[in-house]
Amino acid sequence: MSTFTVARDDFRNARRSYIVLGVIGVFTALTALIFVAEIDIYDDPYRVLFDVLFFVSFVFPLLLAPLAYLSIAGDRTSGAIKYAMGLPNSRAEYFAGKFLSRFGVGAAAIVLAVAVGFVISLAFFVSTPDVVRFATFAGITLLYTFTFVSMFVAVSASTDSRSRAMFGTLGLYFVLIVFWFGFLPLLNIGTLLDTVESLLGVTVSEDTRNYVGLLSPGTAYLQTCKAVYGGVLGQYESFAQFETGDELYAQTWFTALVILAWGVGSLAVGYLRFQRSELG
Amino acid sequence: MTALQIDGLTKRFGDVVAVRDLNLAVEAGEVFGFLGPNGAGKSTTISVLLGFLHPSEGTATVLGHDATRESRAVRSRVGLLPEGYDVYPNLTGREHVASAIETKGADDDPDAVIERVGLAPDDARRPAGDYSTGMRQRLMLGVALTGSPDLLILDEPSSGLDPQGIKRLRSIVREEAERGATVFFSSHILGEVEKVCDRVGIMNAGELVAVDTIDDLREEMGAGGVVEASVESPPDLDLDPIRTVDGVRDVEHGGGVVRVTCADPRAKMPALRRIDDATTVTDVAVEDASLESLFEEYTNGTAPNPEEPTSGETATQQGGDA
Repeated sequence: MSTFTVARDDFRNARRSYIVLGVIGVFTALTALIFVAEIDIYDDPYRVLFDVLFFVSFVFPLLLAPLAYLSIAGDRTSGAIKYAMGLPNSRAEYFAGKFLSRFGVGAAAIVLAVAVGFVISLAFFVSTPDVVRFATFAGITLLYTFTFVSMFVAVSASTDSRSRAMFGTLGLYFVLIVFWFGFLPLLNIGTLLDTVESLLGVTVSEDTRNYVGLLSPGTAYLQTCKAVYGGVLGQYESFAQFETGDELYAQTWFTALVILAWGVGSLAVGYLRFQRSELG
Repeated sequence: MTALQIDGLTKRFGDVVAVRDLNLAVEAGEVFGFLGPNGAGKSTTISVLLGFLHPSEGTATVLGHDATRESRAVRSRVGLLPEGYDVYPNLTGREHVASAIETKGADDDPDAVIERVGLAPDDARRPAGDYSTGMRQRLMLGVALTGSPDLLILDEPSSGLDPQGIKRLRSIVREEAERGATVFFSSHILGEVEKVCDRVGIMNAGELVAVDTIDDLREEMGAGGVVEASVESPPDLDLDPIRTVDGVRDVEHGGGVVRVTCADPRAKMPALRRIDDATTVTDVAVEDASLESLFEEYTNGTAPNPEEPTSGETATQQGGDA
């Protein structure tokens, strides 16, 4: 019961500060824009989803960061936590309430954006959108949202400083997205493995590289979205980016598990740190 | 029954000792004043009682539950007005109170609580982020009162309150005590707790330097009052007859004024008669006894009558070298 109260109060407080409206509005608008922009380019709405999923993997965590990084650290800095924890809430209930409220906002943004994309597809695209593909996409993206909100709330629970919460959150984004995807030519997971090779004088096999490459929730999300394209993987050239072999790392369930593990793991670490911490 | 039992509590932050070997027992139904200057360790102690901070050494038991391990059970029966709190800026005052009632599983009427603490109904429906300090203080007092707690922990409850608010706070504390609640009232101003507390404990530099009833503290310092008589006297006025009056603690003479400090309030009139016998009294002023000076002496580390330790059972007097 008190988890619900904490979550409701947190959601109300956030909603009235317009951050909720901001996250949901911006994400839905940008997703809609991608759909509208591609009406005349592709016949198949699922091809648009492919561009949306790249957008989600790079940009959505940047919208979730401001939403979640102060969820608990903010209460600890301001002292509002003394109101919440002066009441008979256990630390677990408080933590869960905060997480659920922020995850709820992220999830609402995904559901609304996918729904809007579906409606645009239905109205303007040559091929009829496939409900199952859209639903699969929404499901995998909700898992991705769960994991990033979990990581950011965990960072927030681990510190009583706003700046540390911000650095922690941006640090995670940099390592798991920018670094792992290889946005920077000299600073990415590939060059790191090259360095390991030359320093230790060993050869890192292609297989190992592929495994390591898919261990970030970002890259794993991309690969997991292969599940959206059952039966149509040959339709577009871009779909060749999905790993299709028999190896474990090419399996959708495996990469989905990778995403889930990041989320569950960080929730566990964040909760334990919060549970043991002292509240000013 | 003991509402609050603190045994050998020490709290360190790195090298800083915020609270040192604190022993204190507060009985159920008691109104206890927890006094001390800023930084004496009062809020740290309170944070340990609520499970916010973990003791470095020692234990605290609140309403029969261990403060650290059974914090939730403690907080379900405690009403808290903390120090250094904040409200949720976009929630209304009423929402704060309603959530507190919900979390405690109580059935209070939020509007009745808000009225009781003197928050205007219109204000109660505005975002609490817009509140003045006094309004926030009233709101948090209301939050503390929800669910008829067995123990009220009020940390500097009057800070930011106007005189009317302080008066209301006092009568609420009395009402709660009449209901049977224990009240643990922390303050750096003695005058504030003097009027409502049965006993007080004085903290200084992390240590409890005195625990006693207000009356005993008063007696100990000889706080029976002060008589000041303006006299048309020769400078060589003989003060000995006045000094020998039973209950007189000190007599000074200078600048045409005889100042008599009494240990017993009943000594004032006989002392005045002796002055009148010796010379002509042109004016008389009587100062009400105040504990301020005693409080100052304790918290400056110069407690009076060191050979006569305070009669409180758990007082420790180790000086203020922390």
